[in-house]
Amino acid sequence: MILKLGWEVEVSINTLLLFRILIFPGFLFLLLFVMFCDWFERKIMAKMQNRMGPSYTGPFGILQPIADYIKLLTKEDIIPEHAGSFLFSFSPILSFSLFMFSIFFFPIDGVNVFSHEGFEGDLLLILALVTLAHFMLFISGWASSNPYSGIGSVRILIQFIGYDMPLLILSAAPAFIAGSLSLEKIASKQPIYYVFLIPWIFIPFLLTLQAELEEDPFDIPHAETEIVAGYGTEFSGRKFAFVRLSKDLQLVFGAMLAVNLFLGGPYGPVISDPPSLWFTLWFLLKTLFVIFIIEFIEAVCARLRIDHVIRANWRLMIPISILSLALTVLSIPLIKPLMEVIQ
Amino acid sequence: MSEKNFMAAFLEWLGDAVLDFKVPHPRRVFILVKYGYHKDAISWLLKKFPLTIISTITGVDLSDMIELNYHLWCGVAEVTVRTRLPKTKPIIESITDLIPGAALYEREVFDLFGVVFLGHPDLKRLLLPESWPQDQYPLRKDWRMNNQAPILEVKPIEAELSRDKSTVNVVLGPQHPALHEPERFLFKVDGEIVVDVEPRLGYAHRGIEKAAERLMFFQNVHLVERVCGICNVAHTTCFCQAVELLGDIDVPPRAKYLRVIIHELNRIHSHLLLLGVAGLEIGFETLFQYIWRDREIILDLMEKATGNRVMAEFSTIGGVRRDLTSTLADEIERKLNSIKKRIKFYRKVFKNDPIINLRTRGVGVLKESDALKLSVVGPVARGSNVKVDVRKHDPYAAYDEIPFEEITYDDCDSWARFMVRLDELEESIDIITYAVNHLPSGPYRVRVPRKIPEGESVSRVEAPRGELIHYVKSNGTAYPERVKIRSPTLGNIISMKAMIKGCYIADIPTVMASLDPCFSCTDRMVFVDVRSGDRWVWSINDIKARMGSGSEH
Repeated sequence: MILKLGWEVEVSINTLLLFRILIFPGFLFLLLFVMFCDWFERKIMAKMQNRMGPSYTGPFGILQPIADYIKLLTKEDIIPEHAGSFLFSFSPILSFSLFMFSIFFFPIDGVNVFSHEGFEGDLLLILALVTLAHFMLFISGWASSNPYSGIGSVRILIQFIGYDMPLLILSAAPAFIAGSLSLEKIASKQPIYYVFLIPWIFIPFLLTLQAELEEDPFDIPHAETEIVAGYGTEFSGRKFAFVRLSKDLQLVFGAMLAVNLFLGGPYGPVISDPPSLWFTLWFLLKTLFVIFIIEFIEAVCARLRIDHVIRANWRLMIPISILSLALTVLSIPLIKPLMEVIQ
Repeated sequence: MSEKNFMAAFLEWLGDAVLDFKVPHPRRVFILVKYGYHKDAISWLLKKFPLTIISTITGVDLSDMIELNYHLWCGVAEVTVRTRLPKTKPIIESITDLIPGAALYEREVFDLFGVVFLGHPDLKRLLLPESWPQDQYPLRKDWRMNNQAPILEVKPIEAELSRDKSTVNVVLGPQHPALHEPERFLFKVDGEIVVDVEPRLGYAHRGIEKAAERLMFFQNVHLVERVCGICNVAHTTCFCQAVELLGDIDVPPRAKYLRVIIHELNRIHSHLLLLGVAGLEIGFETLFQYIWRDREIILDLMEKATGNRVMAEFSTIGGVRRDLTSTLADEIERKLNSIKKRIKFYRKVFKNDPIINLRTRGVGVLKESDALKLSVVGPVARGSNVKVDVRKHDPYAAYDEIPFEEITYDDCDSWARFMVRLDELEESIDIITYAVNHLPSGPYRVRVPRKIPEGESVSRVEAPRGELIHYVKSNGTAYPERVKIRSPTLGNIISMKAMIKGCYIADIPTVMASLDPCFSCTDRMVFVDVRSGDRWVWSINDIKARMGSGSEH
């Protein structure tokens, strides 16, 4: 009996976990959300540029990304003659899965996808995972043995290695205030959103995010008019679908990171029953808000040059991030009582 | 200085060497000098008029001689220095040491007439493919395309620039997102810095100059219109003016004003297009979308005024083809007023946006002295503070009656070249507004005979991209003896080398956009596509028959 009961209990837990990983709030849900964000992003850009944007696939063109991905999956898939075929084939998928896995750690419906409390230090883990995912994008370009891809890949390395540093430094500030390296705890310990508490961290963080996501003014690794599509030039068909999906996931990841660290994650002003639904709603709304800001910056900016970006990184972003972290540390005696009062 | 004084001074300097001279039209001087004296004549011009630039070199086949016409603009007149050389031994000294800007024109004559220029630094084909047979010169009159039509082998062109260990050759084109027309650029790159560039023209050959000799004058109006899609109005106006000069045809004043209106609308459309592309090249997609949306208004006006959005088909020999109604004139004025506000906004964007400034200021510098030496034209020259506006200095149509400013900037960089165009947009709107309000009444066209009297003429207009020059020679029939077109891009493309050295790879699109290159214009003069030669015209039935027989074997 006991054995049987134990077995049954074990099965039910595993089904729940499986459901959470594969369907909600895991893989399928995130995939749909990412496609929605793709549409959202395109629609915003279109509106800002006085265009229509996707408009006839489904209501308001909302099914356009799905149509695009289905089309890409049916297209011929070409591997260039001189490309390193293993790396060329696997790096887009690997990059996609790394981004997806990183998103699993966000407390989308109050807890993360693995439904436990998360562990101390998952912030560091996802930042490391994302750096690896960026590296996969570099590998994918490098493996395609195309001069444009080569230049694009080198630009990715230059840009990401540079901007990972300020991103890490700036991410440390919310962790410092919350006194934890766990994403969930950082989100839950925000009686006032950190964006209001430490705006001097949030603004450079957004700019760094812009560089990490290759959005204007930092879209240098795939500057169309210079190097065609950069690292993605040789990709077609299914592989290109994965490259694009990883790009979309990257954007969503960036926005979710900002939401988790600075905008209180899943916690919103109104929470009623069932809380997990409301948590999800708030989390996604805030994510869309951050995407809106990112796209707004993209729409009003021209592209910088790689030397500008390097100079801006070493002369500006790194000193600024260190200084603002120092400012945060110094203002802790003021921040702590303030937070306690509100709580 | 009038043309007479000019000739007197010239004869004094080179009296014996001048075989013949004439001043057929105002500001047009033709001087025939003895073989070997052309360099003396040109160096005298350069000494006397420091602002002399070369417009082009026209080769004309005189059955046993080849005549070379050096068209030079010296500030007071378009001087054509000509010399003749035997066809059996077509060798002449190069003038590239006097005017480096003549390099491409000499290569063009070498390519199409087989004239060898001694002392040219890099005499090789400009437009014909490398696999073209050595002894065939398509623009010579005794050249026939049937049976001689060579089969072109398509083979990759070897890298022309020597390759060091530390540099990499990056090829841009013939297909590339930054290029909107097929052209190939070979960049020698050291890291991210461009060391040298070698452009290869000729991917859009259509042989319009050769074709023009087989069509009647009035038909050629439509042919030259197709030299360039964007500046088509400039081409027709230029050609019609050349023929009108030849036939001594007086164009009614109303037609002159109407030509100005459409010409300026065309310029606004072209400049807006380029500024939008500039936005795209530096990654400012929103600016691109905004400017191109406003360009649509101009295209709609063009359509209402001429019947076509782009190809205006407006000018014709003896006037224009359509009249402008007063209601449309009002609409043009009203809509241009609204566009003027937008242009003021774009001007502010280009002037103040930090990233645009970072990307264009000090990028692609062409010094004033270099601009003169390379004989660049249009906004490129004016961005380097060289005053070359044909409308101002060699007025045609109604430009002598319309007040406007010539825009120059002395920053000499890409930013200056964009700003010249932005300011010119406002000037163009003012010109149109003035022309619409002062439109003379009367007929808008006179009928002209098909046969045009014997003679020759040089016509210049300020196309959106700079000075456009047409040389037309008539032999008294309805068919021209020779039509030579020099589009502005060929004059400007040579300056790319001077601009791009030391720039970053990322600056290539910016610099290229600031030149506003239009390669289809540049390539227009080359021999008709080989397949259209007599042997190669296949009807669809021939092809079917061939395919049928092919399957039988």
